[in-house]
Amino acid sequence: MTETKKEIIVTGKEKPRIGVYVCHCGINIAGVVDVVKLKDYALTLPDVVLAREYKFMCSDNGQSMIKEDIEAGLINRVVVAACSPRMHEPTFRLVCKEAGLNQFLFEQANIREHATWVNMYDPEGAYEIAKDHIRMSVAKARKLLPLEVQKVKVDPSCLIIGGGISGMNSALDLADEGYKVYLVERTPTIGGHMAQLDKTFPTMDCSACILTPKMVDVGRKEKIEIMTYSEVVDVSGYVGNFEVTIMKKPHYVDQEKCTACGSCAENCPITCGNEFDLGMGTRKAIYIPFPQAVPGEYTIDMEKCIKCGICAREDVCEPGAIKYDDKPEYVTVKVGTIIVATGWDLYDPTELGQYGYGRYPNVITGLQMERLLSSFGPVLGKPVRPSDLEAPHSIAFLQCVGSRNFREGGHSYCSRVCCMYATKQARQYKEKHPEAEVYIFYMDIRAFGKGYEEFYESAAENFGISYVRGRIAEVREGENHNIVIRAEDTLLQTPIELEVDLFVLSCGLEAKADADQVASLLSIQRSADGFFMEAHPKLKPVDTLTDGIFVAGVAQGPKDIPDAVAQAKGAASSAAALMAQGEVEIEPYYSVVIEHLCSGCRTCQSLCPFGAIDFDEFKKIAVVNPALCKGCGTCVSACPSGAMVQNHFANFQLNSIINVAVKQPTVENGGK
Amino acid sequence: MSDNVEKYIKRKVHKGMSTKISQKFIDAGLEKIRACINCGTCTGSCPSGRRTAYRTRSAIRKALTGDESVLEDIDIWMCSTCYYCYERCPRDIPVTDMIIKLRNIAVEEGFILDSHFTLASDIFYATGHGVPANDPEAHKQWRALRESYGLPPLPPTVHSYPEAVKECQTLMNEVGFRALLDNAAKLKAKRKAEAEKIAKEKTEEEKK
Repeated sequence: MTETKKEIIVTGKEKPRIGVYVCHCGINIAGVVDVVKLKDYALTLPDVVLAREYKFMCSDNGQSMIKEDIEAGLINRVVVAACSPRMHEPTFRLVCKEAGLNQFLFEQANIREHATWVNMYDPEGAYEIAKDHIRMSVAKARKLLPLEVQKVKVDPSCLIIGGGISGMNSALDLADEGYKVYLVERTPTIGGHMAQLDKTFPTMDCSACILTPKMVDVGRKEKIEIMTYSEVVDVSGYVGNFEVTIMKKPHYVDQEKCTACGSCAENCPITCGNEFDLGMGTRKAIYIPFPQAVPGEYTIDMEKCIKCGICAREDVCEPGAIKYDDKPEYVTVKVGTIIVATGWDLYDPTELGQYGYGRYPNVITGLQMERLLSSFGPVLGKPVRPSDLEAPHSIAFLQCVGSRNFREGGHSYCSRVCCMYATKQARQYKEKHPEAEVYIFYMDIRAFGKGYEEFYESAAENFGISYVRGRIAEVREGENHNIVIRAEDTLLQTPIELEVDLFVLSCGLEAKADADQVASLLSIQRSADGFFMEAHPKLKPVDTLTDGIFVAGVAQGPKDIPDAVAQAKGAASSAAALMAQGEVEIEPYYSVVIEHLCSGCRTCQSLCPFGAIDFDEFKKIAVVNPALCKGCGTCVSACPSGAMVQNHFANFQLNSIINVAVKQPTVENGGK
Repeated sequence: MSDNVEKYIKRKVHKGMSTKISQKFIDAGLEKIRACINCGTCTGSCPSGRRTAYRTRSAIRKALTGDESVLEDIDIWMCSTCYYCYERCPRDIPVTDMIIKLRNIAVEEGFILDSHFTLASDIFYATGHGVPANDPEAHKQWRALRESYGLPPLPPTVHSYPEAVKECQTLMNEVGFRALLDNAAKLKAKRKAEAEKIAKEKTEEEKK
């Protein structure tokens, strides 16, 4: 970085001298419109003193062109006509800053996304639109005022939402770096979906064996405060200074007193389906989800409990830990950063009537198969079919259930894990039953990860799993609850019919059912597939568009365990980078009250979604807290006396754009 | 490669996506067919394909890759338009509409079955009815059935108003239905003559 040059003082009163820089963006812009003509056009605009074009304005050479012009005193405002400001506005602002010009005297005209990309086949139209954008940006640049960047402290603490393998990895990394971590998990234990898996592909590691030590680690770390059976109910504040309210759901068991002896569960008369085993196993109304749960805290499921009082008896619970009148507890913590690792739900195949899930007992999902295969699952790792509890002789797996399906109710994306988990489950079954017939019906096998293709090859060669290329069209129930499959073997180009004992649907992953609520709670975006959206698909894969909030694991999109862990560590690293700086710059786009115009009606105060407006009882006027204001502009549009001005987006600046956009002579508006 | 090998190994020639047939699909707004991933759900779902040689996916794939032999294949007329394939296609491709379009193209190219031609030309065009009910002897029972329900023996269509047949024919001429049939008949006759000529030459050659 070059040394910051002597500052060029611009107060907004001297005559604007604007430099316009038109970027070719390779052929993205120059391939559609004539950039030299655009440059010449810019020179005809008021207050434009120079205009240049260059192949890549964002390159080192392009940046120094701007810098040299500023340093030579030729210009005091900069307009770059190039791409979307999302990527390069910070780049060019830094150029201005380094050259000694206030960085808010810069304006970017987006002639790539808004003109040449969308009108690739209409060069003349694109040229006209590009001209409009340049004219509007120049108009705004004439009215720009220098602003000062705000700096706020970043609290060295992180809230991680979701205690699966992603959240745990982020938590461990951040704790090792010395930051305080609040790990909030909705269910009574951390571990997430990985705890439900039996083995992991392609190495056939026992999932529990590699997961439970991590869970114990998380539990032991002093810097990590695990809040299981808890939910985030409110988030306020801004980057570096979030205030988070967490509801700890009542366990109805005093965890301080409970010794986890298990006597209560032994004596509880209520038996119900266990969520952890997807309803295929049982638990009591007072329970821990599975033996290795961390923390091993007992919880009463009040929906199932009949309040018989047995567990509370002194001879059952000696320490007297049962607390039927337990209430939810609300905790407020202050954190600097947030990592969202809320994970995924399994696609529900009930809607796909042709596969008979929910109608025929011997149709199960891949995750149910996983529990059947698990050594601590409902059948201790010896899969049986639900109708008669016999070990199936033949099993068919169907891939892409709910995934790669462009119909309503399906997901168009590939879930990335199903090919491998089906292959793994098929292989596990063949290991135990070499005589069994196992078929996998697929459209494409996607074995893209490290060691995956080899795993696929070995499943076919060494274990004799039959791969059939064809998506199953429909199934019906044959004799003895067997499943009769109809499909086309597309490689033989012939319809086939096949009777199997057990039919496994390799269901895909989908966004959590309440992802929309989480998104609005945190003000983060979701992409079209329902998962949380990253700030940039390639270069900012763990950031969200809200500063200080990061995303990890399947919450961002389907991933296998290695990818989820990698992203979790990336999110932890990004969060740590922010916290290590100790303070962060926030854009000064806050609202300002013009005191002599404010009538003190308090309209703005009631409307502000961020609680950023206070009322000065002495002066009887509104006061904006710049640190809390997000610059949404609600108060500006609501103020009946025009007393609110939003920095960088003031009425006179926006009006100047509108005036030239509609090609009318400039009408100077009030609000100055 | 010797000619001999070429004789025994039939090579499929892919003609890309810009052939006459695929262009006709695109012109009809059915370019979605290009998204097909050949999963076989359509063929697997097809109740007709379970009983006949009709293979939905293969027919469409042939059409897409410019294999015009699919047009003369009588299997494409085996589809009962039950819409199972359309209902289940994971790419949301209107498969049934494709088959109907394929038949349209086939007829345009003169590949029409004799029975279909007779129905379209001699019955539908001539009488204005797809299923006529006015034959004095053969359709007697239907008229009796109608009367047993208290209905007039003939429906209030061209059967009751014979002068309207002309109007129906005018309509069919206007939309090009007659021209389509005439063209199909012409192409079919031409093709038949060519085939006969080749067969004749062949037998003569064999005689020599």
